[in-house]
This record gives sequence, C-alpha cells and structure tokens, in this order.
Amino acid sequence: MNPDVQIDHYLTVLRLHLGPLTIREREEIVREITAHVRDSAEEPGASVEGVLGRLGTPEELAAQYRDGLLISRARHSVSPIVLLRATFRIATKGIAGIVVFFLALFGYAVGGGLVLTALVKPILPGNTGAWVQDGHFVTSGVLFPPPPPPAHEILGMSYILIALVIGSLTLLFTTWAIRKFLGVSQRVQSKL
Amino acid sequence: MAKQRIPGSDADSPDRWEAQLRKGALEMAALASLWRGRRYGLEIIRFLEAHSQLALAEGTIYPILNRLKMEGQLTSEWVEAEAGHPRKYYELTSAGRQRLRQMAEAWVNFSGGLTHLLQPVLNEREAIQ
Repeated sequence: MNPDVQIDHYLTVLRLHLGPLTIREREEIVREITAHVRDSAEEPGASVEGVLGRLGTPEELAAQYRDGLLISRARHSVSPIVLLRATFRIATKGIAGIVVFFLALFGYAVGGGLVLTALVKPILPGNTGAWVQDGHFVTSGVLFPPPPPPAHEILGMSYILIALVIGSLTLLFTTWAIRKFLGVSQRVQSKL
Repeated sequence: MAKQRIPGSDADSPDRWEAQLRKGALEMAALASLWRGRRYGLEIIRFLEAHSQLALAEGTIYPILNRLKMEGQLTSEWVEAEAGHPRKYYELTSAGRQRLRQMAEAWVNFSGGLTHLLQPVLNEREAIQ
C-alpha cells in the first residue's frame, strides 16, 4: 500500500475512535500524531509501516486517550453520569473497579430513592413515611398499601426533611467517594 | 534486560507484571525527560530509549502527555520547525516540577527498601552463577 494512503487510513481510524472528545481535542491529537509519523519516517532506516506498527493500532491509541480524558474529567465532575462512566471503565479492568462501580450504583440508588420519597410525601402522605409497631421499626418508603395497624407512621411531614437530608448526604458521600477513588486510581494508571 | 514492547499476555504472567511496572513508571519518566527543558513527543521517546529501560509501544507516551497537560503538570506549545511542519513541545509547569520532586523522593525510598529486601535473592543467584 502507498505510504500516504497507509498514514491517511491510520489517522482516519484514529479520528473515528476519538469520537467522544471535543473536535478541538481530537484535531490536536491527530495533528500531533501526524507530526510524529512524519518525523519518525524520516529517521534513517525507518519505514511508514514500522512507524505505524510501533505506535500501536489506532483503536488502542484512541482508547488510551479516551481513558485518560474520561478519568481526568470525572475527577473534577459532580455529574453521576460522568462519574459512573469513569468507574465503569475502571470496572472492566479489575476487581477493585467492579466493587466500586456497584457501591456507586448502590449509593446513587439509595440517596436518589430517599430524595424521591421526600418529594412524593406531600402527594401521597398516607403511603409515605416510616412505620413502627410496638416500639420497633417496621419499614419505610412509599408503600401500597401502607402497613396495616397496629403499625403506625411516626414521622409525619418531618419525614420530608429527614429523607431529604439523609438522601442528599448519601448522594454527596457517594460523589466524594468515587472522586477519591478516581484520584487514587489515576496514580495507578497501570490498571488502564 | 532485553528491551521489548509490552506484550498483551495473560494476567499474572511475569511479562505482564513487568509491563505494568514499566507502564506505572512511565508517567514519572515522561516528567523527568523534561526536567532540563522542553522537548517534543518523539524527542521524549528517543530520550527515554537512550536513558532508561522503558521501551514501550511508542503510542503509549502521547496519551500520558495529554493527561499530564490536562492535570496542569505540563504546558504545550506548537513550534514551527525546519522539518516543514510544526512540532508540539512540552514543558514542565511549576506544579509538574513539584510533583516530579515528590515522585523522585518516593521512588528512591521505595526502590531502596525493596532492593534491601531482595538482596538475599540476588546474592543467592550470584552464588549459583
């Protein structure tokens, strides 16, 4: 194959797999790799084929860029989607990542669930709350039907405040814990 | 130690362990290659080849440089070259210099301790030879 065609093909595949990055980031990377290929190919005894081979496949190269950027962004993000995506990426690489990914899902589900029940309480006051019977906790949440007497709901409208506070704290703690984990795993990038 | 590219071998194999060790050290090596001044990607690769045992797939260095830049440890600048196309030069920021100092200190403590630990193993090997 003509060397120019080989280079073009390599860069096209690279660009394609850098899809999730911004156009600016992508073009900067392609420009730098182009400069690398040109400079390397001019070294004595070098061939375009050899140069491209030593770079690794364009798919592998793009994946390394994506991992690095995803985790760098996630460390400064509070978005559950960005954080979960980054943890999921690490979860594909090892057991610690899998554990953190499921803990993160659990944290978001519990925290988000509590906040949701707080919002539902004014709409369904009889079905939402925390129930006790004979001094023992029975259940809490949004229930259809609510637990029958003698179990009774004890928090009333203060459930809203309590569920909001505990739910928000759970969400905050989950976010903090994931970012902490990503900060640590940044330094053990050998996992990626 | 023979120079070799990272093989995509099975987990737990000695090759993979060594590959991960090299990869883990690469971030520090990339920063260290810029200690005395700015360089562009290919220069960094050739510098590391000449001054360390860190032979890696050449592509590996670029995503690392990109990430170090995003973290504020490096800055970059496109410079027109005689080659007819511009090259992207990297330079350490003061945060990068600070980080590299910490890494160097941690590395020396860590490797010193391990070398001490491994001394009996190495002595025995020499005795056999």
